[in-house]
Amino acid sequence: MSLATATPPAPSAPPPSSPSTIAERAPRRRVSPERIAAILTLGAIVVASVIALADSGISIPSMIESWGNAERFFARVGTITFPEPGELLYLTALTIGLVLCGTLLAAVISVPVAYLAASNTTPGRGWQAFGRFVTVLTRAIPDVVLAMVFVLMFSLGSLPGILAIGIHSVGMISKLFADAIEQIDEGPRLAIRAAGGSKLQEFTSGILPQVLPSWVATVLHRNDINLRGSVVLGYVGVVGLGMEMSFAFKSLNYSEGLGIALVMFALCVVMEIVSSVVRQAMLGGTPSGRGLGDRVVRGVQNARARGRATAVPAAPRPASGGDLEAALRRPWDAVRIRNTIWGWVALAVVIGSVLVCNIQWGDLVTFWAKIPAIAVQFWPPSFGNYDAATMFGAMAQTIGIALAATLLAFVVSVFVGSLAARNVAPNGTVRTSMRLLLVVIRGIPEVILAIVLIVITGLGSQAGTLALAFGGIGLLGKLIADSFEEVKSGPERALRATGANRGQVYASATLPQGTRALIGHSFYLLDTNIRAATILGIVGGGGIGYYLLNAGQGSNYAVVTAIVLMILVTVLIVEGIAMWMRRVFR
Amino acid sequence: MSTPVGNEDPAVIDVTGLTKEFGRTVALQGASLTVARGEIVVLLGLSGSGKSTLLRHLDGLETPTSGSVRVLGQEVPRLSGRRLRALRSRMGFVFQQFDLVPSLTVLENVLTGALSELRGPRIGLWSYPRRLKLAALGHLDRVGLLDRAYQRADTLSGGQQQRVAIARALMQNPEILLADEPVASLDPESSEQVMSLIREIAMDEGLTVVCSLHQVDLALSWGDRIVGLRHGEVVLDTPAEGLSKAEVMEIYGRVATSTTELEAIEVELADAATDAASEPRLADGALRS
Repeated sequence: MSLATATPPAPSAPPPSSPSTIAERAPRRRVSPERIAAILTLGAIVVASVIALADSGISIPSMIESWGNAERFFARVGTITFPEPGELLYLTALTIGLVLCGTLLAAVISVPVAYLAASNTTPGRGWQAFGRFVTVLTRAIPDVVLAMVFVLMFSLGSLPGILAIGIHSVGMISKLFADAIEQIDEGPRLAIRAAGGSKLQEFTSGILPQVLPSWVATVLHRNDINLRGSVVLGYVGVVGLGMEMSFAFKSLNYSEGLGIALVMFALCVVMEIVSSVVRQAMLGGTPSGRGLGDRVVRGVQNARARGRATAVPAAPRPASGGDLEAALRRPWDAVRIRNTIWGWVALAVVIGSVLVCNIQWGDLVTFWAKIPAIAVQFWPPSFGNYDAATMFGAMAQTIGIALAATLLAFVVSVFVGSLAARNVAPNGTVRTSMRLLLVVIRGIPEVILAIVLIVITGLGSQAGTLALAFGGIGLLGKLIADSFEEVKSGPERALRATGANRGQVYASATLPQGTRALIGHSFYLLDTNIRAATILGIVGGGGIGYYLLNAGQGSNYAVVTAIVLMILVTVLIVEGIAMWMRRVFR
Repeated sequence: MSTPVGNEDPAVIDVTGLTKEFGRTVALQGASLTVARGEIVVLLGLSGSGKSTLLRHLDGLETPTSGSVRVLGQEVPRLSGRRLRALRSRMGFVFQQFDLVPSLTVLENVLTGALSELRGPRIGLWSYPRRLKLAALGHLDRVGLLDRAYQRADTLSGGQQQRVAIARALMQNPEILLADEPVASLDPESSEQVMSLIREIAMDEGLTVVCSLHQVDLALSWGDRIVGLRHGEVVLDTPAEGLSKAEVMEIYGRVATSTTELEAIEVELADAATDAASEPRLADGALRS
């Protein structure tokens, strides 16, 4: 807007003197070699997924056939039964306590790890590499594998579960925490530096208060995930509802197995609502998420807001003037009372969790002595009685399950997710019902779905693929809907103005803007599915997990190591490809 | 102005031949500046003229490419760790964007100014000694915000936040107060409040003040001495009294031929300097009253 730089607009057309045709004058389209490589890789992955899907034997007729199985199965189950109320209550408390302790352990460990891994707080490049290494490694080793190892080291009890959840969760929490640290406003931190604060004080007073909300949200989110995952931990000997459920199914007591599955499902829903309430209470404001819990909280808030017309809590203020002693006493306003109550409740929950877990603290001292003896059993890795072809075949089957499930989920999610986006859905009813569908799907823990499907369709990869695909729709559909709603509305408006119809606007304006997010989210799902597919084998869903469980129960620890290494390499490769894709298609 | 026991060095700030390059851009080019104890100096210049960079060098937040920066008798670039922090704690710094921690209470934000005299991290009001809390409340009373002590910092208006930031600087019991465009993000009324508050406190405590501004009128009416910067060089250094706006304008390489052009230049100056801030501009002569 300065006076000096006001210039007439430059002529935009090139000089028309050249005699060649427009086609000759037009610049050649250039695509970088890296992009071509990425596109080829993407194509190869899609082809592999299609083949894997064709191999998995999922077909409409077989699904209809298995519906008959389902009817027969449910006829055999008869009525659903539950454990005795007292025992059920104890098991529920134990499961929640164990998961909470594990998540809290991870939450504490993740603070220093994130400090090292974040580029703006790390003391040096070496430390940063170390922090990132811890983040990637802890995320790559499934918590089930950790639990299997810890079950060997500790006398039975809750400690293996806590440590497995605690260590595995460090990866996700510290990664998201480090991301949050990198996005802070540097101002307050600089102000503390300028006042002569130390590095540690810069972190605790300038950075921590800014990232605390996101840290709490991440920890609560991870807690939900861990609760879902705790079912599988039961299959490898971690106490709680999951173990009871595995016992029930192994002894063909389907009525009780399904009963516990139902309890677990209810628990997951309740926990999501609770964590949403806690998030809201700690962070203030209305939850913006579209999860089940957030919806409930919003509903209650709206109802309450309608209930009272004007409720402005006038904060009592300390008297102004020279009476500083009086001002030293912080007034007990609504906010302070609420914070204090929440603080004590949180403390009580933590103490309760630790108590109910009945942790054998002595084990933490004695297990160091056992490490050498156990380590010897785990090293060197070998395939034991199995030949390499079988093992690689099983690993390939696991990858196949993940690929097929991701493809299935992708196809359905693009459809459901698009219709769930405000700017794509033809009307509010369609959008709301699609959103609701996604919320319901997300509410069902995949592992429980897999277990039920396995019982119905029998062991094998078909049940695993279907369960993963179903769960994937909940996640990917939501992410796609959110991304589509976030695209710029200008291009859509412009196309509508040219007279394009709804489908054309979607194809030419919405989809191109959302493509990057689509690719990114799909790889995120593939990443998640690879990890989940290894676990599915443990409950009977086919693939490498079956051999992992067998080797663990048969004390062939060298085989366990070999399988874990295979899983680790696969997960790291997929994560590497995913990171590359996100970068290239950014 | 009675001075507290200090160094035998008469100049509290002594910068000579300071050059700072960020990659290929030269932010400061052989800038020199000497400030005596108790002086109130305005650094005047467009954005990109090097005002902020100069201020940040005084506090050791930047390392010079070449040249010497002596503050309170110490060569700042040679200091590090504990000794640098000790020197920083003797200088208060007020930023354009206030830079309070939004989710903390006003009182805790003020208390962070005292972190250098405490050991280790502090989280929550309870972790600060009572003595410091009383002092912080006193400083809040001084800036007229005692009644806001227990509110979150982000519930305050911009002007109030800047006053909290001044209280935070006072918490350090500073000998020098550095201010980087303290009112560039504020409306005219708050600007006047904040600028007179800084001046008042500086006079009462005998503080040495170096404050960067881009509004010529404000600089002339507020400072004792004007130091003009242009493209990283000091092009003007004179007492504010008796200095005319036209003379100041000359340092930007423009000769004012008419009042309309003068006004246009001033608008441009204001625009360029506060590109990021969308707040209303400081009205012409708002502080003359």
